[in-house]
Amino acid sequence: MMPQAAASPAGPARGWVSYRVGEFCLETEWEVLPGQIMALFGPSGAGKTTLLRAIAGLLRPQDGHIEVGGRVVFDRAQNIWEPPHQRRVGFLTQQYHLFPHLTVAGNIAYGLPRRNSRETRARVQELVASFHLEGLESRRPNEISAGQQQRAALARALAPDPAALLLDEPFTSLDTELRRALRRELRDSLARANIPVIMVSHDIEEAVSIGDLVQVISDGKPQITGNPLQVLGQPGQGRVARLVGVENLLKLRVASRHTRDGTMVCVGDGLPAGLQLEVPLGDPEPGDAVTVGIRASDIILADAEPKGSSARNRLSGIVSGVELRPPGYEVTLSCHGADLKCHITGTSLNEMGIRPGMNLWAVFKASSCFLVQDDLS
Amino acid sequence: MRNLFRASDYWGPVGAASTVIYTLFIGLPILALLIKAAGQESFIGSLTGEPVLQALRLSLITSSISILIVIGVGTPFARILARGNSLPLRVVDHLVELPIVLPPVVSGVAMLLAFGRQGILGPALSGLGISLPFTAAAVIFAQVFVAAPFYIRAAKLGFQSVAREYEDISQTLGVSPWATFRRLTLPLAGPSLLTGIALAWARAISEFGATIMFAGNLTGKTQTMPLAIMSALETSLDTAVALSVLLLVLALLVLIALGLITRRRGTASL
Repeated sequence: MMPQAAASPAGPARGWVSYRVGEFCLETEWEVLPGQIMALFGPSGAGKTTLLRAIAGLLRPQDGHIEVGGRVVFDRAQNIWEPPHQRRVGFLTQQYHLFPHLTVAGNIAYGLPRRNSRETRARVQELVASFHLEGLESRRPNEISAGQQQRAALARALAPDPAALLLDEPFTSLDTELRRALRRELRDSLARANIPVIMVSHDIEEAVSIGDLVQVISDGKPQITGNPLQVLGQPGQGRVARLVGVENLLKLRVASRHTRDGTMVCVGDGLPAGLQLEVPLGDPEPGDAVTVGIRASDIILADAEPKGSSARNRLSGIVSGVELRPPGYEVTLSCHGADLKCHITGTSLNEMGIRPGMNLWAVFKASSCFLVQDDLS
Repeated sequence: MRNLFRASDYWGPVGAASTVIYTLFIGLPILALLIKAAGQESFIGSLTGEPVLQALRLSLITSSISILIVIGVGTPFARILARGNSLPLRVVDHLVELPIVLPPVVSGVAMLLAFGRQGILGPALSGLGISLPFTAAAVIFAQVFVAAPFYIRAAKLGFQSVAREYEDISQTLGVSPWATFRRLTLPLAGPSLLTGIALAWARAISEFGATIMFAGNLTGKTQTMPLAIMSALETSLDTAVALSVLLLVLALLVLIALGLITRRRGTASL
């Protein structure tokens, strides 16, 4: 799908850097293969953006070695330093930063040589089509929606055929619903580009649903690197557990796909019948095993089956545990053999008189469920 | 006028009164100038005397050269000021604006003390066979001295308005720093730069105090239009009026140009 490929030398993005500024110290290493997405997850101030800037050449670490597309672009020992415009590393910022004085087409064409040539026009047209920007070519960036801006910025970054792509919290500028909807779209676009991608995120849900590989970084040091299930499943150190804790991970099997609704129905795998969830449409086919993540704070508890709610998922269950978890409580609900953890405020807990053995409904939207990328399955 | 009164109950009457008073205060002298010029037997005739033409030519040439120097030196300098954050740079940043508030006559005296025959650089310059005061070069020195801050200030603000991320992204797209400046920074900062150029040029062509101190008032050599107006007042009021109207028209043109720039900026920017 990447046309007129100036055949960027396919190669991994890898390296290590050591960068100090004041008290802060970033010391990390990474290796991402072509076609692979590494999600760099960590709290604000962990050094994620700093690392991206170092790889792009926008800041110079005191020490390190950076390889992109089979070329060494930085090596302090060998005194190699390529400036950003020679690195062929695409960069997508949080606010996309489309150039305001250019049209959408002008933005996409910006990094292409010979801007008025026939090949360039053809290339721009092709990117416009594959990023669904038809009809918006001559609009200014402020005249298109945030989702369209994201696509235009991605098209612009991929136009010069980069050897690697860096995404700095690409969903921050979007609202929650759109964010979840665009994840799959972004994954597809990136898969077509077939280059190493590093995506920064401070949202673990985003990181595990997009990344083939997740690196948790905190205080400038990598805490754990692995596929999402490894990172979520065995966070090992207490610190990582605190950083990543997704409370509910359900092993399910895809029963049917509903392209029109953008959802799939998944059922309990080997569990007592009846557990059935609607989740956003993903790549897996009916019959495939999937892991579905749900944040405990996305689940609402009700004492009767809610009528007229837009939330697609309503599961009845029995309270098997109530635990104090400041600032509220964590309620464990046994639903069809699966334990669902739900977070609830102290006020709600008292009002509803929740206690073990009680029958409750867990309610959550399909869009609150996310597929956890699982390399091993 | 009714609208003015209605605009705000409280400020209405006071606002209307001050608007009328101020408009008359500014408008009357300008009107008087235009009436006087219109009453002349030959407006063009008053402008054709050799000293007048010389002054006109000198003003246009010197102010054009000055503005080119201001742009050439001021642009990279403004760019550094816009991004730099070191202490010395911040001090320089404030000093740059000094000529805006300094009485031009003081600037002239200061330039004499620096570049004059008895000035700090005087001996060195005369050693090279150069004598600046009372030459056209001195006129340009004076104009650059007083006009440059207007451009540098506007250009600095213009460059600062271009988010650094734009330039970063441009480079990651394979565009060199220089091409990034040309294709991205300049167009985005363009309206500010044009505003600065218009203001600096207007200031240069109206320069009087520093010029008369440092370059003198030599007909055909250092006598620019404002100086010629003062000289003409002693001999021919008609010539003074004609020259004044000419400068007035130039000033209006600058004002119109500024209006167009800001209007375009209003629609073109984000």
